[in-house]
Amino acid sequence: MKSKLLVLFVILALVLTACGSGGEKAGGGTFKVAVVMPSSIKDLAFSQSMYDALLKVQAEKGGEANFQIVYSENMFVVDDAAAAIRDYATQGFDLIIAHGSQYGSSLQEIAPDFPETAFAWGTTVDTFGQPNIFAYEARAEEGGYVNGVLAASLSKSGVVGVVGPIETGDAKLYIDGFVSGARATNPNVQVNVNYIGSFSDVALASEAANTHVAAGADALSGTAQMVVGAIGVAKENGALWFGTQSAQTSLAPSIVVANQVYHWEVVLNDMIKLINDGTYGGKSYALTLKNDGLVMEYNPDYSIPADVKAKADETVKGIIDGSVVIMLPSK
Amino acid sequence: MQNIFKQEWFSRLIDVMLPVFATLAALGVGAVMLLLLKVNPFVAYGAMFEGAFGSGNSIAETLVKATPLLLVGLGICISFRGSVINIGGEGQMIIGALLATQMGLMFTDLPGWFVIVLALLMGFVGGALWGGIAGYLKAYFGVNEILTTVMMNAIAVQLMNFLLRGPMIDPSQAQLASKIPQTARLLDAFRLPRWMPTRLHLGFLIAVVLAFLVYILLWRTTLGYRIRAVGKNPDASRYAGINVKRQIVLALLLSGAFAGLAGAIQVYGVNYRMITDGSASGFTGSAGFNGIVAALFGQLHPLGTIPASILFGALLVGANKMQRVVQVPSALVIALNGLVVVFVVSSDYWRRKRQRRRLAQARIEEDDEPDEEPGAASPAQTEVVA
Repeated sequence: MKSKLLVLFVILALVLTACGSGGEKAGGGTFKVAVVMPSSIKDLAFSQSMYDALLKVQAEKGGEANFQIVYSENMFVVDDAAAAIRDYATQGFDLIIAHGSQYGSSLQEIAPDFPETAFAWGTTVDTFGQPNIFAYEARAEEGGYVNGVLAASLSKSGVVGVVGPIETGDAKLYIDGFVSGARATNPNVQVNVNYIGSFSDVALASEAANTHVAAGADALSGTAQMVVGAIGVAKENGALWFGTQSAQTSLAPSIVVANQVYHWEVVLNDMIKLINDGTYGGKSYALTLKNDGLVMEYNPDYSIPADVKAKADETVKGIIDGSVVIMLPSK
Repeated sequence: MQNIFKQEWFSRLIDVMLPVFATLAALGVGAVMLLLLKVNPFVAYGAMFEGAFGSGNSIAETLVKATPLLLVGLGICISFRGSVINIGGEGQMIIGALLATQMGLMFTDLPGWFVIVLALLMGFVGGALWGGIAGYLKAYFGVNEILTTVMMNAIAVQLMNFLLRGPMIDPSQAQLASKIPQTARLLDAFRLPRWMPTRLHLGFLIAVVLAFLVYILLWRTTLGYRIRAVGKNPDASRYAGINVKRQIVLALLLSGAFAGLAGAIQVYGVNYRMITDGSASGFTGSAGFNGIVAALFGQLHPLGTIPASILFGALLVGANKMQRVVQVPSALVIALNGLVVVFVVSSDYWRRKRQRRRLAQARIEEDDEPDEEPGAASPAQTEVVA
């Protein structure tokens, strides 16, 4: 009995002695970015849009030697995210991105303790007046409007369904824009919007999509990471899908028409330049169609009728030059 | 006789250590998964340990994480001892936190210590109400408490989302399109004292003190005796003149109260406002569920739950640190925690089996000559350990 216990204690000791070795990857002259994200880096939505953008910046800067990325994913517990942000800050990262509007209050607490570290968070416009906090947002209503125009033009039943998470942030902007675009195109189109109350409940998103389909919708859209469930339902029922945040075409190449993709590298590049010049925050950014932060990406495998595509391109142009004004519902 | 005492003592020590062995075994399985991901398990677990205990600050983080687990776990000790299964910790935390937060938002003119005490009390009351409803339904209508407590979680989440995005929303958020579901920040005076510069707050101490009080409640008071009696055998308790229904309500009431307090302390000690991502775990960090595991870890003993929740808190904090250092997918971290839970809960089976064997042994010893048994006892026990 004792010898077996001894073995256990030896294992325990081994585990304990291994502890000294868990150090950080150091690098001189490397720009080090840490990002804290509410969902997975492969969520095909909000988190992935940021991660993909970081990878793109990394490739432009010449790889990991010059631009190091470290991430914490699935940090949906605000308190855990705060711990991660603080831990990164103590490790001397050049830029720490808190990629979720729910992280703002944590950042407000942490950033003043690390004046030499740049922080960024979104989606928001609020830098809390802190000299080391950047804020960024995506004017998701712009691409939402374009998707709405497309959906209303392509829907045969005249019923369109939208699956949203919680009525907040870029999700609300996107959906308001979508509804506005659809109505502007066809005043008779019926747009059913359903906020399921969760960013993560994939099954509930599927159920919401099923309900939309049962109500006659033949074109669906939605935003946030749980929509993968809704895309599956759209695929099964042959309903069209209009994506946002990341390119979602790979999930259902037969039915995805277009995606509004967030290209955060526009924002990232400017922030990195400012940080290298000694400015650690105080600026807020917005991704728009105009600054190429938002890009309408069409599924090459889905052939859009030429007149509809033309209308979409025209809408994009109109939003950029200001001739198309998106009417959002007042608060 | 000396030898018998040693055997008994040693055997009990093994019992207490079983969850720790189970955790190590789970980490062993986790090491295989890490190897499959081409990550050196020693580096990964090293980071885990460093994240949980490597510095004063990491120990503080571990204790902060352990606080709600301990509080929820204490409530679980009470209800499970009374054979009432409370899975409503999440909802009870939320309701407690909502009530507590409202105190801080309403009484901005009152002295800080008074508001803190009032808020923690209201957290206690809020959780008790939420748990008590399920208790009442079970005691007087025979509704299964597992169902009601889980359903009450869902109701609490909706209530939270409604309040945090409606009447209780941060006024500065109400004007923005983002409308983050959070309340305004509490006044600085309303914060639980912290051990600067770490985030360790008074709530941990409160939880530890309460653990001793729950121990006294369960084993040194009539109320605790009754709850345990009903848990062991409701029919016998009824014959003994105990009001069984009342004990059931009380068990869930108290259980919920501790979860509610955990929610209140989370607001006043950690976040200084109530905030969520729209899910229950966004606010609770799943402490309402993990507290159950912590309590089982501690073998449903309030004092055992103290080290158990620290260990589990360390696992949670350490796993996050591990993800940051070796950059494994968060799914692995979740799997690792799941493994630990499965192993620990399974180890409880061994513990009970050993306990039964020990009881049987004791009975034989009573019947027979006392000094013949110890020799026979050890091989049987060795087998179980192996």
